[in-house]
Amino acid sequence: MPDYDVLVIGGGPAGLSAAISAKKEGSRVLLLEREERLGGILKQCIHDGFGLLRFGEKLSGPEYVERFEEEFHELHIEYEVLTFVTDIRKQEGVFLITAVNQKGVQNYQTRTIILATGCRERTAKQVSIHGTRPAGVFTAGTAQHFVNLLGEMPAKKCVILGSGDIGLIMARRLTLEGAKVEGVYEVKPEPSGLTRNLVQCLEDYGIPLYLSHTVTRVFGVGRLTAVEIAKVDDAMRPIPGTERKVECDTLILSVGLIPENEMAESLGVSLDAHTKGPVCDNLFMTDVDGVFSCGNALHVNDLVDYVSESGELAGKAAAGFQKTWRTRGRSVPLDADASLQYLVPQRLNLDYGTDKVVLYFRNKETLPQGILHIEADGKTVFEKKYRNLKPPEMERLEMDFGKFHLNGASKIRVSIRKGGDAK
Amino acid sequence: MDTEILEKKLNRKLKKQFGETVNVTIEGKIIRVSGHLPDWDTVVKACSMCVTKRPGFHVVNDLVAEGVHIPPMRIPPIEDKALDGKEPDVLIIGGGISGCSIARELTRWKLDVLLVDKEADLALQASGRNDGEVHPGVDLGRGTLKQKYVVRGNRMFGKLCEELDVPFRRCGQYVGFTDKSAYSFIRMYAWQRRYICKVTDTRLISGDDLHRREPNLNPDFKFALYNPSAGCVCPYGLTIAYGENAVQNGATVSLNTAVLGMEVIDGTIRSVQTNRGTIYPRLVINAAGVFAEDVAAMAGDRFFSIHPRKGTNSILDKKTGSLVKSISSIKKLKNNAAHTKGGGILHTAHHNLLVGPNAVETYEKENFATEQSSIDAVFEKQKLTAKNLSERDIITYFTGVRPATFEEDFVIEKGRKTRNLIHCAGIQSPGLTTAPAVAIDIAKMAVNELKKQKEVSRNKNFNPRRKGIPQVRNLSEEERNRLIHENPDYGVIICRCEEISKGEILDALKSPIPVTTVDGVKKRVRPGMGRCQGGFCMPLVTKIISEDLQVPIEQVKKSGEDSVISFGKTKGVR
Amino acid sequence: MRELTCITCPNGCLLQVDETEGGIRVTGNACPRGETFAIAELTHPMRTICSTARTTYPETPVVPVRVSGEIPKERIFDVMKEINNIVLDRRVKRGDVLIPDVLGLGVDVIVTSDILTRKLCCH
Repeated sequence: MPDYDVLVIGGGPAGLSAAISAKKEGSRVLLLEREERLGGILKQCIHDGFGLLRFGEKLSGPEYVERFEEEFHELHIEYEVLTFVTDIRKQEGVFLITAVNQKGVQNYQTRTIILATGCRERTAKQVSIHGTRPAGVFTAGTAQHFVNLLGEMPAKKCVILGSGDIGLIMARRLTLEGAKVEGVYEVKPEPSGLTRNLVQCLEDYGIPLYLSHTVTRVFGVGRLTAVEIAKVDDAMRPIPGTERKVECDTLILSVGLIPENEMAESLGVSLDAHTKGPVCDNLFMTDVDGVFSCGNALHVNDLVDYVSESGELAGKAAAGFQKTWRTRGRSVPLDADASLQYLVPQRLNLDYGTDKVVLYFRNKETLPQGILHIEADGKTVFEKKYRNLKPPEMERLEMDFGKFHLNGASKIRVSIRKGGDAK
Repeated sequence: MDTEILEKKLNRKLKKQFGETVNVTIEGKIIRVSGHLPDWDTVVKACSMCVTKRPGFHVVNDLVAEGVHIPPMRIPPIEDKALDGKEPDVLIIGGGISGCSIARELTRWKLDVLLVDKEADLALQASGRNDGEVHPGVDLGRGTLKQKYVVRGNRMFGKLCEELDVPFRRCGQYVGFTDKSAYSFIRMYAWQRRYICKVTDTRLISGDDLHRREPNLNPDFKFALYNPSAGCVCPYGLTIAYGENAVQNGATVSLNTAVLGMEVIDGTIRSVQTNRGTIYPRLVINAAGVFAEDVAAMAGDRFFSIHPRKGTNSILDKKTGSLVKSISSIKKLKNNAAHTKGGGILHTAHHNLLVGPNAVETYEKENFATEQSSIDAVFEKQKLTAKNLSERDIITYFTGVRPATFEEDFVIEKGRKTRNLIHCAGIQSPGLTTAPAVAIDIAKMAVNELKKQKEVSRNKNFNPRRKGIPQVRNLSEEERNRLIHENPDYGVIICRCEEISKGEILDALKSPIPVTTVDGVKKRVRPGMGRCQGGFCMPLVTKIISEDLQVPIEQVKKSGEDSVISFGKTKGVR
Repeated sequence: MRELTCITCPNGCLLQVDETEGGIRVTGNACPRGETFAIAELTHPMRTICSTARTTYPETPVVPVRVSGEIPKERIFDVMKEINNIVLDRRVKRGDVLIPDVLGLGVDVIVTSDILTRKLCCH
């Protein structure tokens, strides 16, 4: 049975980065990708704006990811495409992986696994849309696949539910291809996507955004003919009497992304209720020894640059774990209080690399000015002022925890308070 | 004389409750209720009040509900002469579980069998929109056709599903009771079901025993009624399998074919008009579900009425499958309104949980729209069955419409006024369970009828076995490897949630009754049935269909003719 | 005074822009690019566009393209028309120019993926 140090599942930006960095550490790496080509969802994200942090350029999705593919190939990393993992078992400290591809059932053995399985879109049923079930109800990613990969027009006149980034990007994309986007409806009182996308995808094209509105019902037997829109109250429940019918042939949903962690769950990995991704430490290791997570499988990122970064860190850590550490070491929880929507990682490893810890967080409420506090054992050890903190826009922070003299009983608490002068 | 008394009695009863706008006349065994009432629920109530237990009597509803416009039957947007001039021995109207099972049983004889359905696939109405339970029959009283067929039907499932290569599991049914004081009553009830109704597997188990078997059920259950013979099957899977086996044995299935009218002369159907031409059958079988009354009317033989009753089921993520491994529900002796099904929790043949259905009267026979209120009501009740049940695990939901008669029983008999007609009507729950047994009886009735006109001999080539499409995810490594080496497409996974290969999808497109739509493929091999609901695989399936049929993607449909997925190529090319 | 959201980078700074006789005054920007953006937005707003170009290859019916630099916002749909006229019958690479100096705007329409040249299932 082929034997590896690091086996990466998923060949999108996270998996590619993870494989590259593990390989650079000298590990024997295999990457498995279920689709025909590497690149993950970026293959269909033809819009630009990727890589601004990493490359200082506004690249399209394919341009961004193909740079990593090239590096991946230059390093001669082993990989399989059209290969679907069907089973993972842990046995005496090694993982046995079963996958299937055109050559048959494949079995591999590995010391560590990096889960870079990305995320999936929430569906119409998960946001309780009722009525008939005609053709013409698509998630934004599905519509994007039709337009950008198949060159097909799934819409002529459409309504978009949810102001997530893919929804906004698709509003512009469909408009450019000649469709009419009637409007974008968001159930929350604030938009979900990046502000720049509201400007360059909606405002530029005169597409209205309706906050505190939702689609309550769809109509049509063969193809969609209309949707019912209603205003919602503070608890996001439709307000009776505010319903209005909007004629359209397409409903596009951009109502959230869910990290794909069915494989992690099958390995007994604990998930964080807020991120829906694994609970991990700053080495990106989950609570199962040797299982690492990165990219959108760990938490939904809004910038691919951070996806690549987490992959890189996870790859390096997996290589280190396999080669030298062998044990997970001591760790303490990183407690985020209720002012944060979430904080990744959820634990701090005290033994391996506390000096350059990358934290990713989202605050819960929009704050014009806020201060991030980090407390260790009751003492404030770090503060940073932020302005324009918005839940849709994730923040990244690099911290040196090495200087705080932490021990196995230390308590670390992270919170965000209102106020403070703008930086 | 007797009926005159009944007529008077019913008129008195109705007029007392609803006033002078309603009237009952009894002619033959037809109790005809006419006049007008303010709304549909009142119409149903009035008709239900006229039901009598006298054998053969049926309520026919001629009442008008004020302001209610009953939508006409939806007709497929296709018109051609594909069936024009056909002279089948038997024309079966309806491609649900009844029609398909009858078609298969009829192919045991050398007969020209034609089955038509107006929908784009088999099992698109009630047969594809139910919970898939194979009932033990424990809830049915004596003397009904439902009860007559349910135990017989249930016993046939093991062999039948093996022959038709359809997954079936006898997972057992538990009906839990929280009220200890009901024990003696339920013990009597169980005894009666077991020894009088011959539902011989019925037994009572203790709360402890129940919790050992199903640890996640309500800890307050003191005891449960248990029927190990209960099972679950994929209802549309079985219907399609029956249809395919019928086709393999010589029957013809014509989809997108709606019956629009009949020419009846001297109590005989001479011809049947469809959107695909005029058919001249020797015998017609009415298995038209919610439209069985309409078909009976066309044939001049309307002696029963259908009052549609819709129910909604939710399907939960497979991850929750271990919560309940059987069919479980809660029963309270009080406040149990007639016909109100609170549903249950069922571990499906595909290992999801199914929760439901509820029951709501409707005049719209084809309104499959779902409502949040239905799901809320069912979950409220079923959280009493298993408290960890969560709406958050719902991946999809659907509504079906039951074709109930006012007698709440089946109509399985020859035409009363029309000679060359057999009705298989009012087939609601447990119609899936009874179908195999009913089909045998109806096939016998049909053959006896035809024998009056021609010689009918056995079909010596009849093969009861139908080979389904391999489910590669369930194969052993060895078998899976063998299959992939024969055809590498079995190694290409298209649907990641349900682990469906390209090979299986191509098999579905080549199956005996190919339905080359996204939904047709989904029903046969399940891509898109999982938690992402086709978000990832739907464009891929669309592309595979387009390549296999060698048509542009814009010609691939979701389901029916007008369910367009793509409007054409981008770049303004129209 | 006008408020603008800077779209240069994901920070999305909220800019306050004052047009005075002495020129345009920008505040709220975290970096100098905000000022450049605001001035351009008031005088001659510029945007980039991305789209796909049709090919003759059935396995890859479209390839992703973009403009190599910013174009005037009001010319977006004119450039889209040009892009929509392309039918590729050669296997172009990432960075290849499909339309040089599109509509005389000083930027090219370029391919942004190697999808047409990259082999599948290679090792």
